[in-house]
Amino acid sequence: MSVRYGRDLALDDVSLSVARGEAVALIGPNGAGKSTLLKAILGLLPLTEGRVEVLGQRPEDARERVGYVQQADTLDAEFPISVLRVVLMGRYRAIGWFRRAGADDRRQAMEALAEVGLADRAKDRFGTLSGGQRQRVLLARAIAQHAQLLLLDEPFNGLDATTTEILIEVLGRLRADGVGVVMSTHDLAVAHLTCGDACVLNRRRVAYGPIGEAITPGTLAEAYGSRAVQLASGATVVTTTG
Amino acid sequence: MFRLLVEPFRDAYMQRALVEIVVLSALAGVVSVYVLLRRLAFVGDALTHTIFPGIAVAFVAGQSLFVGALVAGLLSALLLTAATRIRGIDHDAALGVLVGAFFSLGVVIVSTQSSYTADLTALLFGRILTVDTAEIVETTGIAVGVLVVLGLTHKELVLRAFDPVTAEAMGYRTLLLDLVVNGLVALVVVAGVRAVGTVLVIALLVVPGAIARLVSERIGPMIVVAVGAAGLCGYLGLAASYEASLNHGVRLGSGSTVVVALTLAFVLTAALATLVRRWRRRPAASRPAIAASA
Repeated sequence: MSVRYGRDLALDDVSLSVARGEAVALIGPNGAGKSTLLKAILGLLPLTEGRVEVLGQRPEDARERVGYVQQADTLDAEFPISVLRVVLMGRYRAIGWFRRAGADDRRQAMEALAEVGLADRAKDRFGTLSGGQRQRVLLARAIAQHAQLLLLDEPFNGLDATTTEILIEVLGRLRADGVGVVMSTHDLAVAHLTCGDACVLNRRRVAYGPIGEAITPGTLAEAYGSRAVQLASGATVVTTTG
Repeated sequence: MFRLLVEPFRDAYMQRALVEIVVLSALAGVVSVYVLLRRLAFVGDALTHTIFPGIAVAFVAGQSLFVGALVAGLLSALLLTAATRIRGIDHDAALGVLVGAFFSLGVVIVSTQSSYTADLTALLFGRILTVDTAEIVETTGIAVGVLVVLGLTHKELVLRAFDPVTAEAMGYRTLLLDLVVNGLVALVVVAGVRAVGTVLVIALLVVPGAIARLVSERIGPMIVVAVGAAGLCGYLGLAASYEASLNHGVRLGSGSTVVVALTLAFVLTAALATLVRRWRRRPAASRPAIAASA
C-alpha cells in the first residue's frame, strides 16, 4: 500500500501480512510511517495505492474485531473517569448503541483488568495511575474487546519493568489464543521477545521477514541512518530521541 | 428567611419564572458536564452569537423568535461541526469566521427595522419575568428531548470525549457524535436565551460543570452536582433580584443575578476545594489528632 499526506509520501509501496497468532514488529525512526501504517490497517486513512484486507474484510468493516492500543500518555490525565470505565469501553461495540453495560460486561472488564494485574485499581481515576499502569489499562481494554487483531502504537515507550513484563506475557497469551499482533516499537529487545516477524520501515519497506533476518546492522543503518551505531562487539544499537 | 426565600414566589409571574429557571438550570446543568468534558465552551459561546440571524429574520418576518432561533441554532451547529473538520484550516479560526459572518448578518437584517432596540435588549439580557406558560412548555419539551438523547448516547459521547482516536478505531463516526453534542448545546442556547439572554446563557453552559468538576472526579455525581448547583443558584438569584428590586430599590436584572449567584458559587467552591486539597496534602503528623486516644 501507499499513503500520501498532501504531497508527502508517508508510505511508499509497503506490504506485509499477519497470520492468526503471529506478531509483526514495525521498526523504524520517528516519522517512518509506523503510525500511518497502523491507521491504514484501521481504515482511517485513504490509500493512494494498494489495498488492505483485515480478517477477510475491508478495514472499515472489520474495526469491531480490531483492537487498537495507543500510547497512554496521549490521553488526558485529568479526565474524570474510573479505570473500570475505561476498560468497559472495549465492550461498547458488543453492547451496542442506546444500551448500558451489563453485569456480564463488567465481569469481562474486571477479568481483563486482573490479567494486567490492576483489578484492585478498578475504582480509581484513570489519571491517578502511573504511566505504565495506564498503558496496562489500555491493553486490558483491548483484551475486553476480544479483538482478533491487535494493533499497538509504541506500547513500550518509557515503561517500568513490571509493565514491560506484563505486556510481553499478555501478548504471548493472546498470540497463543490466535490473536494477530502488529506493534510499532523502538525497543529492539522487546520486539525480539514478542514478535516472530519484523518490518523495518523508513517510509518504504527496508526489510521484512523473520525478525532475526529482518533486523540486521545493515537494515537498521538503512532505516535509522547515523542514529544506528555499531558497537565494538558487533551489535547495533539505535539511539532514539522520541 | 421565610420572607426572603418564599414570599417572592407568591405572585404567578414569579412562579412561572421560577419554573422556567429551574427547568433551564437542570437542563443546562446536565449539558454543562458534557461541555466541560469536550472543552466546548468556545463552541457554546459561538452558538450564542450564531442564533442571532435566525432571531432577526423571525423578528422582521413577524414570526416566532423561538422558531427562528431554533432553526439558526441547529443550522449553525451543523456548520460549526463541519468547520472543525476542514483540513488545513485552524478550528478556532473557522469558528471565529462563522461567528462573525452569522452575527453581522443578523445585525444587517435587524438594522433595516427601526423598532428593534427594546427587543434586542430582551435578546441580550433575557426577560425571565415575562415568560408565559407556553414558553415554559417549550423549554420543558427541549429539556426532555435533550436529556433523552444524552441518556441514549452517554457512553459513546464520553468515549469520544476521552479518547477520540480509539472511538474512530472502534468504528464510531465521531463526526456524528460531535454533531449530536453541538446540536444539544444549540438547543440549550435557544432555550436559555429567552430567560437569561445570549450574553449570559454561556454562563449556564459552563459554570455548573466547572463547579461539579471541583467537587467530584466521576461523571455521574458531577451531573447531579451540576444540576443541583444550577437549580439552587437559579432559585436564589431570582429571590435575590426580587428582594433587591422591591424592598431595597435596587433594580437587579433577574437573569444576571442568577449568573452572579452561579459565579459566586463557583468562587466559593474553588476556594473550598483548594483548602481541602491543601489539608489532604499536609503530612499526617501535622494534622491535629482528632482521635488521639485511639
